[in-house]
Amino acid sequence: MRLIETKDIWKTYIMGAEKVHALRGVTLNIDRGEYVAIMGPSGSGKSTLMNLIGCLDTPTSGEYTLNGADVGSMTDDQLAVIRNREIGFVFQTFNLLARATALHNVELPLIYSGDPRDVRREKAIIALKKVDLGDRMTHQPNQLSGGQRQRVAMARALVNNPSILLADEPTGNLDSKTSQEIMALCDRLHQQGNTIILVTHEPDIASHANRVITILDGRISDDSVLTSGEKTRGRVA
Amino acid sequence: MITFAIMREALSAVWGNKLRSGLTVLGMVMGITSVIAIVSTVEGMQSNMEDVFSNMGQNTFMVTRFGIVTSWSEYEKKRRRKIITRDFIEPIKDGCDACEDVGAEGYANSNIKYGSKTMPRVSIEGQTSNHLAMRDVDVFRGRYFSEEEERGSKNVVFVGQDVVEDLFEGEDPLGKTIRIRRLRYTVIGIADKIGSLFGQSQDEFIYMPLSTLRKNFGEQGRRVNLVVKAVSRDRLEEAMDQTRVVLRSKRHVPYDEEDDFDLLTPDAILSFINTFTRAFRVILVALPFLSIVIGGIVVMNIMMVSVTERTREIGVRKSLGARQSHIRSQFLYETLTLSAVGGLFGILFGMTLAGAILSWMDIHTPTTMLAVYLGVGISTTVGLFFGIYPAVKAARLDPIKALSFE
Repeated sequence: MRLIETKDIWKTYIMGAEKVHALRGVTLNIDRGEYVAIMGPSGSGKSTLMNLIGCLDTPTSGEYTLNGADVGSMTDDQLAVIRNREIGFVFQTFNLLARATALHNVELPLIYSGDPRDVRREKAIIALKKVDLGDRMTHQPNQLSGGQRQRVAMARALVNNPSILLADEPTGNLDSKTSQEIMALCDRLHQQGNTIILVTHEPDIASHANRVITILDGRISDDSVLTSGEKTRGRVA
Repeated sequence: MITFAIMREALSAVWGNKLRSGLTVLGMVMGITSVIAIVSTVEGMQSNMEDVFSNMGQNTFMVTRFGIVTSWSEYEKKRRRKIITRDFIEPIKDGCDACEDVGAEGYANSNIKYGSKTMPRVSIEGQTSNHLAMRDVDVFRGRYFSEEEERGSKNVVFVGQDVVEDLFEGEDPLGKTIRIRRLRYTVIGIADKIGSLFGQSQDEFIYMPLSTLRKNFGEQGRRVNLVVKAVSRDRLEEAMDQTRVVLRSKRHVPYDEEDDFDLLTPDAILSFINTFTRAFRVILVALPFLSIVIGGIVVMNIMMVSVTERTREIGVRKSLGARQSHIRSQFLYETLTLSAVGGLFGILFGMTLAGAILSWMDIHTPTTMLAVYLGVGISTTVGLFFGIYPAVKAARLDPIKALSFE
């Protein structure tokens, strides 16, 4: 089933008198249940693409349909609702609220979707157990390791049952062993039926995905499905 | 549901940064304390003034030679008026059927002595014996002087509470002898406490029969003000008109000339004093409002810093689905919480301070709810007014920029 559909999307920034095209006509389809990595060097436009897919921004031109909804022309508040329901963000720097417990951090998206307090609590506990943090719920971020923090962030991303888990360099701030743990968790979540989009510049992280889209100079330069052999090689490399 | 959850977010943010919250609250407390303290004090003084003036007696007015003089030329003009003496009492009584009673009072002041103690420059009033019934002065102990004592110019005095305190210090003054200008007077009664006006005690007085004042103080005792009491509030105007007619004819004022005397009601005096003190009151109340504005700007600044510091948090909340209105509400609730707490302490401190100032001025009026309403009103207004800009600013942040904010 088609989840993401973009048609010739452009993103243009005006810097003084100059127009900078961050995306130059990206057409892309992603189906439900896919495990996609978006790669590209810095400045390639991959962050811009991620922001658009994550509904943090709208394209200058072109169409973007997410789960049947035309999000390309939505207002700020409509986008906020889509982000709340359809997107689960995982950031490189975790972006947890420092003074809140793991449980409260995971509850946050549910506050904005209007869930009552006891439902919030229940869903947050389930999400934290999914990432094996059932015993760390009352800890604050500074009492958790980097890997645990990222798992809290993933629980937060999942708690509202979004259509997409959108992870932007999820292992960028983690050591290799913890990175492997987090990627294993991603793999598991994918097996459980979640659609996952990884934005990364590390080939061995991207190799966890089943499909790698490479962005260069604002355009898709390569879009290939990884065979299991390639996946293994990527992981070794 | 969302509203409560967002309120809790706001509260935990306030609680989470105690230093910043404390400073914000402090800014509010200072402003509101000063407003409440000053407004309550001014209000207390005002209601005290009305109390004291009501002591002048209900339905009464005075006939004076000078009235209220506001300029030198007016004084010069009125100085040429014939004096008013007690000889007008009987004609008014005869010619005014709306008048219940007419009395007179003359004024002097002098040092008074009891034993080795001296009280300097005490206000002395000579009064006709019907005076007490016309004025709302109550007898605390002893009695007021009688008609016979007034007719016989007896050396008897009826004294105020301050005289008792300063001269007698615990001794029972009744029946004791005080000396005024080497003459001896017997204390026969003590008045109830009146209070103070503009920080000046109204209990430092000595009343004696008007005839005694005339006898012992000479010419001073001849110049009097008349005190006229109307039969009822409704007939006060009528009584004033009839009195005017009697006086004009007795004083031979030609029909085309103005009165050569002034009639004063307690209300008129009070409203004159009010116009006189209005500017003073406005400034007194306006000054602390300035400090409220400054306090509000402090609050706004701290909230702006808070918004900047928490840019990333705002970005995260937006990425998780917070709408502009959610972010705006959270920051507004934060400011309102801080200003409400500030307001609460401000009311507490302000009323305490006002109480202290008033009791130092020897004013004992019951406090009103005005300060509370004012405090709540101001703190809410300040919270809303100075909170809205930072809140809107936070709500409008671009989530992408906010998320990449270092």
